Amino acid sequence: MSRFSPVYRALGMIIMLFGLTMLAPLIFSFAVADGAATAFDEAFALTMLSGAFLWFRYRRCTRELSIRDGFLMVVLVWTVLPAFAAVPLMLQLGLSHTDAYFETVSGLTTTGATVIEHLDTLPMSINLWRHELVWVGGMGLIVLAIAILPLLGIGGRQMFKAETPGPMKDAKMTPRIAQTAKGLWLVYLGVTVACIVSYHWAGMSWFDALCHGFSTMGLGGFSTHDASFGYFDSPAIELVAIVFMLIAGMNFGTLFLAVTGRSLRPYLSDPEAGWFIAVCLASILAIAIYIWKDGVYADLDVALRQAAFNVVSIATTTGYASVDYAQWPMFAPLWMLFLSSFATSAGSTGGGIKMMRALLLYRQVYREIVHAVHPSAVYNIRIGGHVAPQPILFAVLAFAFMYMVSIVSLTLILSFTGLDIVSAFTAIVASVNNTGPGLGVVGPSTTFAVLEDFQTWVCIFAMLLGRLEIFTLLVVLTPAFWRK
Amino acid sequence: MTRFAPVYRALGLIIMLFGLTMLAPLILSYAVNDGAQTAYDETFALTLLSGAFLWYRYRNCKRELNTRDGFLMVVLVWSVLPVFAALPFMIHLGMSHTDAYFEAVSGLTATGATVMSGLADLPMSINLWRHLMMWFGGMGLIVLAVAILPMLGIGGRQMLKAEIPGPMKDAKMTPRIAETAKGLWLVYIGITAACILAYRWAGMSWFDAVCHTFSTVSLGGFSTHDESFGYFNSQLIEGICIAFMLFSGINYATHFLAFSGRSLRAYVRDSEAVWFVGVLLLSVVVLANYIWKDGVYDDMDLAFRHALFNVISVATTTGYSTTDYGQWPLFAALWMLFLCSFVTSAGSTGGGIKMMRALLLYKQVYRELVRAMHPSAVYHVRLGGQPAPQTVLFAVLAFGFVYMVSIVSLTLILSFTGLDIVTAFSAVVASVNNTGPGLGLVGPASTFAALEDFQTWICIFAMLLGRLEIFTLLVVLTPAFWRK
Repeated sequence: MSRFSPVYRALGMIIMLFGLTMLAPLIFSFAVADGAATAFDEAFALTMLSGAFLWFRYRRCTRELSIRDGFLMVVLVWTVLPAFAAVPLMLQLGLSHTDAYFETVSGLTTTGATVIEHLDTLPMSINLWRHELVWVGGMGLIVLAIAILPLLGIGGRQMFKAETPGPMKDAKMTPRIAQTAKGLWLVYLGVTVACIVSYHWAGMSWFDALCHGFSTMGLGGFSTHDASFGYFDSPAIELVAIVFMLIAGMNFGTLFLAVTGRSLRPYLSDPEAGWFIAVCLASILAIAIYIWKDGVYADLDVALRQAAFNVVSIATTTGYASVDYAQWPMFAPLWMLFLSSFATSAGSTGGGIKMMRALLLYRQVYREIVHAVHPSAVYNIRIGGHVAPQPILFAVLAFAFMYMVSIVSLTLILSFTGLDIVSAFTAIVASVNNTGPGLGVVGPSTTFAVLEDFQTWVCIFAMLLGRLEIFTLLVVLTPAFWRK
Repeated sequence: MTRFAPVYRALGLIIMLFGLTMLAPLILSYAVNDGAQTAYDETFALTLLSGAFLWYRYRNCKRELNTRDGFLMVVLVWSVLPVFAALPFMIHLGMSHTDAYFEAVSGLTATGATVMSGLADLPMSINLWRHLMMWFGGMGLIVLAVAILPMLGIGGRQMLKAEIPGPMKDAKMTPRIAETAKGLWLVYIGITAACILAYRWAGMSWFDAVCHTFSTVSLGGFSTHDESFGYFNSQLIEGICIAFMLFSGINYATHFLAFSGRSLRAYVRDSEAVWFVGVLLLSVVVLANYIWKDGVYDDMDLAFRHALFNVISVATTTGYSTTDYGQWPLFAALWMLFLCSFVTSAGSTGGGIKMMRALLLYKQVYRELVRAMHPSAVYHVRLGGQPAPQTVLFAVLAFGFVYMVSIVSLTLILSFTGLDIVTAFSAVVASVNNTGPGLGLVGPASTFAALEDFQTWICIFAMLLGRLEIFTLLVVLTPAFWRK
């Protein structure tokens, strides 16, 4: 029996569960006879068999998962599932394994960067599968963000232990996760249904509404059209998207409390939500005026409409585009990418360092300034009324530092391979923040297909790094983790 | 009497002292009759009179300076002296006050970015003044870095208190600074003399030797020629320059110990020095290979020679060049700018976050990884054998964070004014690290004259921010500092 057997056993079960989600595109493929049925048949069989084999091999190891198991578990789930998810893409579209894996990692990490062109002519079942991946990824993410990472103590996530809804403090890992998951998934499911219905009501076909509902709630950003939301060119659809992106960018724990209490008060007492909305609104106004003054749009109304949609889309790390905003003056897209690195809430499906950490970092810098003037002053950093303990502050600072170091070093690597600086930097920022489109050769009007294989792998690594909040992945990559 | 009266009194004295240094270009100007005599006459008189007035006005306030006074003092010295230093440029060369102040700040902060071209045709006294400023800037810097900032506790500088040579721990501010300054300035002056002789021996004219020495030992980077070291095209001169740049990139306190103990052991025990040399050697070899493989130079020897000089020049935050490395593949130049942000030692005349902090940051990230795996493990971050106290670690992490945030936000501001991203980013990095030339419009082959006034002011702010280690300047800019 190897040391991590219970992890492998659980992974086997998760792979089987994941295999079941392939039934949706499989059935759909048979129903509309789009020619992809064989690919899904084979992928389904392969996934179920692999999962069953793994589970059977380690079926006797039922001990409770420890913290260390948790790290490996999370990393394996986010790296192995995309491998199976990529099978239909390889079989049906003939994508290379690099590109197919990129596409599915992008889906499951709710990034939304794509290597596939001519999305409109893909078999419908393939498009459904891409969007379903984002939705399932978002589901996993909520549990990861609200239940698992706090338990592992990544980047100060312990903070949120107290804020998890339900009576589950200090409970054991598995029941606690199950408990949290149940409540939040119900909310997630409900909002998704509302989003799909709204899209259809605003004018999308049912299929488009379903797909875009999936990728909106996951804050992913995949679309069934090359032109993304530019295809619909409808203010109503854009408005629906904006509203649901904003909802998904806030803590699902808060949404859960609001729904169960039938009151909006949880949002008022959520410091993250207030800043998130304020920062987005201020940025929309500023950028609308900036691009209008610059003469990109003659009409302030149009500038405001385009700024509202694209700023919210990038800031929430979704990555839809209604227009090629890379053509705007450089400051605008840079500011949007900057927002995507911190605007979303800690318990949302968004990426980046999260608003909670940004607020803590701001307070900490302020504390250092106070300390400089009054070296003996006692100044506690509070969040939500509680004094934040030292280890959490250290963890948050170290997290922010590693986040920036990751961006710098991965950008240097991409630039080493010969990519221009704008493309290299923005590809990394968009991947680490799980946003999707960057600028330059990977801008909103193009795809990541232009990258060479090695560059694609760097972006895959960046997406996983960002999604697993850096330390989860780094811990598993240290030799100390594997020592007895 | 105002609250900061003793600061103003001391500032008056310092301005008068600074005025005296203008005697050097004044006398040279009369000696070679280069036409700038009047400008120096007027500047000299104005500076002395202003200083005397300030001193006379507050002459009765002799209380000991406290920590808060220290912050204001440092900020005033580095922002007011350049005002006087800029006068000859305005009077004689007719430069705008923005450009003249930029040049003077660039000199006194030992940055080396220039807005002037046709350097070889400038009056000799103007060139002497530019380089002399740098030398004095370096002198002020050593005291700032080794004596003042540790006392103010900026960005974990307290760490260095114990390492200051001489019996001066916990002494009062003024005698302590005087004591430290004496020993270190002796080393600085000795090295300057050695450098002048070496340059002269290698073939420079006496004037060039003096000027380039001033900008070498201060790690500034001004030159009397537009082509910088490319003008001399001599391997011997480049070799000498490299040796002295490396020397100045190491802690002057270590030099002091080595000289007074007549042994090289001090360097071996200085972990900053070891990493500094190690990182530079590795980078030179890698970049030489990289540009050679890329076909920039047919000849490996030539690639190595250029890589050696330019990498060390930029990494030590000097900023000389022998060739337009802006034409090399972008990765090379980016890597050089990356190096300049951390390689130099804490007690050197270099810029950036300093190797000491980089090592602490690395150890701290490692500690977070260990902590994630073993939440209850006790793991002390050690530096030089002693565990670093919590407050120092916080200060270092916060410093690393604010440093990066400064770069990001100033880059966004420059990009807002319409600069392209390469120019904006590299101008800010080169200014904050006090390196000098950036890339793009402000690359080694051009000057900062291409910037508009507002952009120039941003760069001035960035240079001061970097030189005063961010927090010193931020503290003085907070309202809390001015409250009673």
